[in-house]
Amino acid sequence: MRWWQVRKRNADLERELSADLDLEEEEQRERGLSPDEARYAARRAFGNSALIRDQTRETWGWVPLERWWQDFRFALRQLARAPGFTASVVLVLALGIGATTAIFSVVNAALLQPLPFPEPDRLMWLSQQNHSLPGVVPESLSYPDYFDWRSKNHTFAGIATCVGGGITVQLKGESQRLDIQTVSSNFFQVLGVAPMMGRDFRLEDEQPGNRTVMLSYSIWQSMFGSAKDIAGETLRMDDHSYTVAGVMPKGFQFPLENPAPALWISMADDAAGKKTSQRGFDVLSAIGRLKPGVTPEQAKADLSLIAAELARQYPDTNMEDSTALVQPELEHMTGDTRPALRVLFGAVMLVLLMVCANVAGLLLVRAARRGGEFALRAVIGASRAAIIRQLLVESVTLSLCGGIAGVGLGYGLLHALVRLMPMDIPRMQEALVDGRVLLFGLVISVATGLLFGVVPAWRMSRSAPGLALREGSRSVAGGRAQHRVHNGLVVAQTAIGLVLLVSSGLLMRSLVRILNVDPGFDPGHVLSARVGVPFGRYSHDQHLHFFDQLVARIAAVPGVQSASAGWPLPMSASYATITFNIQGRPVPRGDEPEEALGLAMPGYFATMRIPLISGRVFDERDGLKGQPTIIINQAFARKYFPNQNPLGQHIQVRLGDDVFEQSVREIVGVVGNTRLKGLTDGVQPEYYLPYAQAVVTNPYLVIRTSGNPLALQDAVRAVVQQMDEGVPVYQVSTLEDYVSKSAAQPRFQTFLLSCFAGMALILAAIGLYGLLSYVVVQRRCEIGVRMALGAQRTDILRHIIRRGLILTLAGVIAGLAIAFVVTQALTGMLYGIRSSDPVTFAAMAAVLLLVSVAASGLPAYRAARMDPNQALREP
Amino acid sequence: MARQSPQHANLLQGTLDMLILRTLLYGPAHGHEIGKHIQRTTNDFLQMQHGSLYPALHRLERRGWVVSKWETAPDRNREFKYYRLTEKGRKQLVVEESQWKQMAEAVARVLWPTAEES
Repeated sequence: MRWWQVRKRNADLERELSADLDLEEEEQRERGLSPDEARYAARRAFGNSALIRDQTRETWGWVPLERWWQDFRFALRQLARAPGFTASVVLVLALGIGATTAIFSVVNAALLQPLPFPEPDRLMWLSQQNHSLPGVVPESLSYPDYFDWRSKNHTFAGIATCVGGGITVQLKGESQRLDIQTVSSNFFQVLGVAPMMGRDFRLEDEQPGNRTVMLSYSIWQSMFGSAKDIAGETLRMDDHSYTVAGVMPKGFQFPLENPAPALWISMADDAAGKKTSQRGFDVLSAIGRLKPGVTPEQAKADLSLIAAELARQYPDTNMEDSTALVQPELEHMTGDTRPALRVLFGAVMLVLLMVCANVAGLLLVRAARRGGEFALRAVIGASRAAIIRQLLVESVTLSLCGGIAGVGLGYGLLHALVRLMPMDIPRMQEALVDGRVLLFGLVISVATGLLFGVVPAWRMSRSAPGLALREGSRSVAGGRAQHRVHNGLVVAQTAIGLVLLVSSGLLMRSLVRILNVDPGFDPGHVLSARVGVPFGRYSHDQHLHFFDQLVARIAAVPGVQSASAGWPLPMSASYATITFNIQGRPVPRGDEPEEALGLAMPGYFATMRIPLISGRVFDERDGLKGQPTIIINQAFARKYFPNQNPLGQHIQVRLGDDVFEQSVREIVGVVGNTRLKGLTDGVQPEYYLPYAQAVVTNPYLVIRTSGNPLALQDAVRAVVQQMDEGVPVYQVSTLEDYVSKSAAQPRFQTFLLSCFAGMALILAAIGLYGLLSYVVVQRRCEIGVRMALGAQRTDILRHIIRRGLILTLAGVIAGLAIAFVVTQALTGMLYGIRSSDPVTFAAMAAVLLLVSVAASGLPAYRAARMDPNQALREP
Repeated sequence: MARQSPQHANLLQGTLDMLILRTLLYGPAHGHEIGKHIQRTTNDFLQMQHGSLYPALHRLERRGWVVSKWETAPDRNREFKYYRLTEKGRKQLVVEESQWKQMAEAVARVLWPTAEES
């Protein structure tokens, strides 16, 4: 039997049954019965013809499919007949499924998609483990370490390195600052992507003098107009000539972080200086491609052997880094975002669960109204399975409608999310609704449909048809058991809602704490910018002179209160630690402590409003010709000079700028602590060197203004342009922006979770409201009798509200218990607050109770205003 | 299935198939005839609703034990759907008959043990 023959087969069966039935009738007539009696007798002898048809069709094998289709069409008709009900359910479902789909798209893009390279599972992120610190702390590689790892390992097809930076490109008289990566010559080969034009880097490109550059597709388009003959051309960058090796294909990016590198240069530049020979200059990220069949553990053992050997050979620099760390690149890249995304996904699944409970409640009410219909079905021969199937098909049809609307909504939400998302989630910009997301949407729609459909379906199929028909006629369908189920759904919704409310409450309170953290400086009204002065453009003296002049001229701009420069700007992600020793406390070179390095020009502390605690700040005494000096912060003083006056002590910092080479410096001042890495990172020991005595990088300009700092950015650009047209100004931003960005991730998480909690609160309220309204309608008679017997309106009001409160209280108690366990997952995301914070728990329970009272209010009011006369007379 | 009065037995599951096959051994018949025949030959002891035959007939056809054809009945001037036993059906009947016999004997041995001994 083929399915397309079903129709023909049906007609055939029809004909067969009626032929035989007619025959029976004829025979009965021949026995002498009247035509009416004969027909009746024939039918009785024949049995339930609908059931027979069904059972016969069942033997054909295609029936299930056909029946699903029938049920589906029937479900659509049913839903179309109740447009209000359908619309509200589809809306609720669409919200739940939409939010879930959007978050899943993010998770999909960030965590689930494989890296966009061939055989991405073989790509490993490599580092050394710094054993001087507790826990597993990865340490970058130095060039000599890298060369040893590259040549001595047996487990990798190749190991490549990259290190980020910036470069000033001079093109057609204009200069522009670009983000770059300095890479080893086998970088693209290890990743497995060849340039789409020109040639790959070669080993000799690592040699001093062989400056080569690989362009990204986007920069090739925007800066070079997609010129076909670009390979082999010369490009002026940082006052050097680079040969363009080629152009990478569209979409290629590595590392996969923001901002994407505009170009990659070979390490020839670093080799020209002393960087490639300095062991201990640990700045490189390393990525390796495993040989086929090699496990990460084997690779780790292999590299650790080399690291241990290096630690023995070079104790001064490598003593603490005696093992290697090998981590799949995808895992490394997504490591930071994993917990946050997990929490968000968990939260949105809870919302979806609430949506299920909510819709299940609505369906229960609807099913109760249709009690008569189903009783009738049961009476005329529908089996229990058939009734369950039909109800489930209806609910899955509903959820599929909701799913279609939800995926559409999720598509919109995703775009909003990507735009709002400040988190540096890698690959976020590529997040889209792909096949996997659609599949997820489908699965989740069907799953929700079954989940919210199963309770009403089960309830309906169990009701005794006779009772239902009788009850239905008096419009009090649904018994005690059904109320219990409905109550349970409301309690469950309340509990889940409270879990979400408590979670978002915790994040909110944590965010408030974060925003109230004193950063240690005053970020208001400060503009910052970087000036890309290529090293080598000026002599050491000229370079210093340029910045002195620049700061002086900017300070003279109207609206500027004070100006200076320093490095790193707190919360700017610039950061470095350098080893040092304190005079009079000799330690072996390999055991020297390291702390955060800062550079400051005169006026820096005043402009930043970092308080001076004792001694003095830097001034013109600390110049090129002055005595070597250093300023420490309070945390440094407390750690290294407890119960001792640090002023006048001497420190030797292992840093040199060719003029001041690892000088022994006198401590001349102690300043306040600043939050260097972010608001939530603890204060840490830091020392500052005068910029004039440590010219190692371009400092950040800091400009305190009287008005809106951004209004001065053109003036600042103009000053720089006047002084040197070949020097670009970049990273122009307010200090407040940096501080705000440092709280961006908690803010975003809090925002999203609060949205979910808001949805949860509304759902909980709707759920309770729906139940109580239904109860009031159902018990109209009873309420009428009560009132007729003298119950006051306030009694009725109180009665209904009490019922709502009892349900809510049950949900709140369950919710508190669940939240207590569940919120432990938030621990890592909370700052200055415990996951079991009683204030949050109490406050959120109170919010939920208040909202519940409000939700009970309307049905209670309606019940109290009922006219007993009318209530009792209505059927 | 509708309730039956005590003196009528419910058909054992699977027995109906055998009875139909056995009935068709006499020659092609349509559903009504088959039902009437089973009822008559058991002296109305197996009183089933005719309707319950059809699922069984269609099942047998699907298994290839019977084939069907619309033919005009000799006594009525109308077409009925006649079922005819196939070779496969014949073999199946032999199998079912022997199984039934074995079972009947086994049941008898349990119910009337002394009769068996004597």
